[in-house]
Amino acid sequence: MSDRDLDEIRAARRAPGPVQRKAPGATAWFDVRRRGSGHFAFSLNRLTGLGLLVYLYLHLVVLSTLLRGAEAWDSFLRRATTPAFLGLDVLLLFGLLAHGLNGLRVALIGSGVAPDRQKALLWAVVIVGAIALLGGALHIMGSS
Amino acid sequence: MSSNVETGSGETIPARSGTRAWRATAGTGVVVLVLVTVHMVVHHFVVQEVGGLRTYRQVLAYVGHPLIVVLESTFLVVVTWHGLLGLRSVLFDLGLSEVGKRRASRALAALGVATVAYGLVLIAVLASRS
Repeated sequence: MSDRDLDEIRAARRAPGPVQRKAPGATAWFDVRRRGSGHFAFSLNRLTGLGLLVYLYLHLVVLSTLLRGAEAWDSFLRRATTPAFLGLDVLLLFGLLAHGLNGLRVALIGSGVAPDRQKALLWAVVIVGAIALLGGALHIMGSS
Repeated sequence: MSSNVETGSGETIPARSGTRAWRATAGTGVVVLVLVTVHMVVHHFVVQEVGGLRTYRQVLAYVGHPLIVVLESTFLVVVTWHGLLGLRSVLFDLGLSEVGKRRASRALAALGVATVAYGLVLIAVLASRS
């Protein structure tokens, strides 16, 4: 976080009324131009979070196939085990790792457990996430 | 635990993260992280089928275990709670009025209850077939 960012945050907090966002607007959080790595991580967290929420409902729809019996489920399995579908599983794993590990980083910083370790934690997230993604992708694609 | 952020120059500023919603999102997030890891490993990394996906009979045998019913039901509740809290946060950033925020919160709470209810019925029906 730069000194200018901190000055803006402090000024906004001293002002009367609710805290004004740095860049107001419905999708300001999505704009990562001229922002630091922390803002990029925040935007990625929200994008992956929205994607995972869509997946949650998609997952419930797919699991509902089980209610139609063995034939319907095993028919779905034949489609779900194609390389293209397994590629989507790797994308899901990326979303889970990015959102989960970065969310843990945000929780550690925001709760005051490690407030001054933002950069170090970000790098730890990238390294642990990359290793887990590589291992998971090899396992998923290797089984096809 | 402190809710202040060290600026690096010896000064601390309030993190503004001590709100109930933020704490609920972070708390459920940590639980989800543990449960999703268990869910992914037992569903996709110990099964020897292609893609780690269970056949119909394997799914029923798995869901029929009481411990799994508790685990999956807990996961369903916590992940729905966490996901809809996150969506609420995104919606609030759209600049909703106070009335709009209350309506959004109620709508998401209703969606959450419906989602959990449907998921629990799904788990119960499948568990009863095993």
